[in-house]
Amino acid sequence: MDQTTHQRLTAYIVAHQEDFYRLAYSYVKNRDAALDVVQESIVKALSKSDSLRNPDFLKTWFYRILLNESMNYYRQNRRLVSLEDGGLPETAAPQGDHAARLDLYAAIDRLDPKEQTVIRLRFFQDMKLEEIAQVTETNLNTVKSRLYKSLRRLRELTGEEYSYE
Amino acid sequence: MNDPWKEARAAYEQTPIPQELEFAVASAVRAGSRRRNRRRAIHRSLTAALASCACFVLLVNASPTFAQAVSNVPVLGSLARVFTVTEYTIEDREHLIDVRLPALDMEGDTDLEQRINTEIQARIDQVLQEAEDRARETKAAFVATGGDPDEFMPIIISVDYEIKCQNDQYLSFIITKTETLASAYSEYYAYNIDLQAGKELTLKDVLGPDYMEVANEAVREGIAQRAQDPDNVYFEPGEGGFESIDEDQTFYLNQAGNAVVVFEKYEIAPGYMGMQEFEIPLPASVS
Repeated sequence: MDQTTHQRLTAYIVAHQEDFYRLAYSYVKNRDAALDVVQESIVKALSKSDSLRNPDFLKTWFYRILLNESMNYYRQNRRLVSLEDGGLPETAAPQGDHAARLDLYAAIDRLDPKEQTVIRLRFFQDMKLEEIAQVTETNLNTVKSRLYKSLRRLRELTGEEYSYE
Repeated sequence: MNDPWKEARAAYEQTPIPQELEFAVASAVRAGSRRRNRRRAIHRSLTAALASCACFVLLVNASPTFAQAVSNVPVLGSLARVFTVTEYTIEDREHLIDVRLPALDMEGDTDLEQRINTEIQARIDQVLQEAEDRARETKAAFVATGGDPDEFMPIIISVDYEIKCQNDQYLSFIITKTETLASAYSEYYAYNIDLQAGKELTLKDVLGPDYMEVANEAVREGIAQRAQDPDNVYFEPGEGGFESIDEDQTFYLNQAGNAVVVFEKYEIAPGYMGMQEFEIPLPASVS
């Protein structure tokens, strides 16, 4: 029985490795660090796969580990680069048409990490809000309010209107 | 096409995927599954304790040896490589443990690869287990003799590796374990692999049938040369000094492909001399 859970988890990880890498990279912004985060998450997940009782939650369970690892790294490193961070936010305000194309993508990095998570999981990984709630271990209402708050902030940052769906 | 979300998503999906990803994932899958199996076999294993109190520190570019190891990993085309499977740090009252565990990946020859990786894993697990026992004993003794448990100096252990030689023919790397209690003590484990033949190299393979004489000669010469400096002292032969290498003498190949024999601290010289290494030039008959 749990042999199959382990196998399913392994197959899932191998099949979606590029998604994991992209998500990790979006936090740590460094190739080697992202590789490490992915590796570390996989080792943790597989070695603890016995604690995953219900294989239906495999996806959200793995994303939770991946995000925790990413956040740990992000937090550790933010402390190291906080000086640069302090100077950055105002410089990249919307700058005409050409810049506008990348603006939304870049603006996501300005959100706080929890908001980044909601936005990326929703819009880049196509997760349902219920799934996001499981990944982030919060309730659905929190996810919703975070999502709307993030969209508002993105609007402020880019000057454009974003509807949800 | 003017949907900003579509464009942001396209930018996100353009995040370049490094070629190493697939390999990194495969090795992590292996490491994770192995760890799980071990965990199930031994219920109260050290790893379980590690996992619950481990704080994972990612030192990507901080360590020069790691940077070197990374630069030594060719992306494609090489027959084998050594890479870091896990890296972790444990800090608690009894110990500070820092481990960077290597594993080997060889094209085709999975038997040898598996054997060496299992051996590395087993060896490091044993080393850490012993260290944990020792730390517990030392602390118990410290407290029993009236020491304040809060002042107990944690035992410091670090496990690391270094690639000494890597080319199409040979792969040579050493694993170092350093334990610091009052004074530091290191142990070295060397792995030398003939990639063409798919087996572990012995000194005999490298130096020929007369390897003992050849190596002994080189070591004696090296000692004589170094002993000219009055600061360098070696034990005398007969008083614990160098007489002959062992059949399974620790050695590695350096970048030039020469064998370098390694003597641990105290083995042939007083402790302050540290570890002693002697390069053995390849005898003309073999090369």
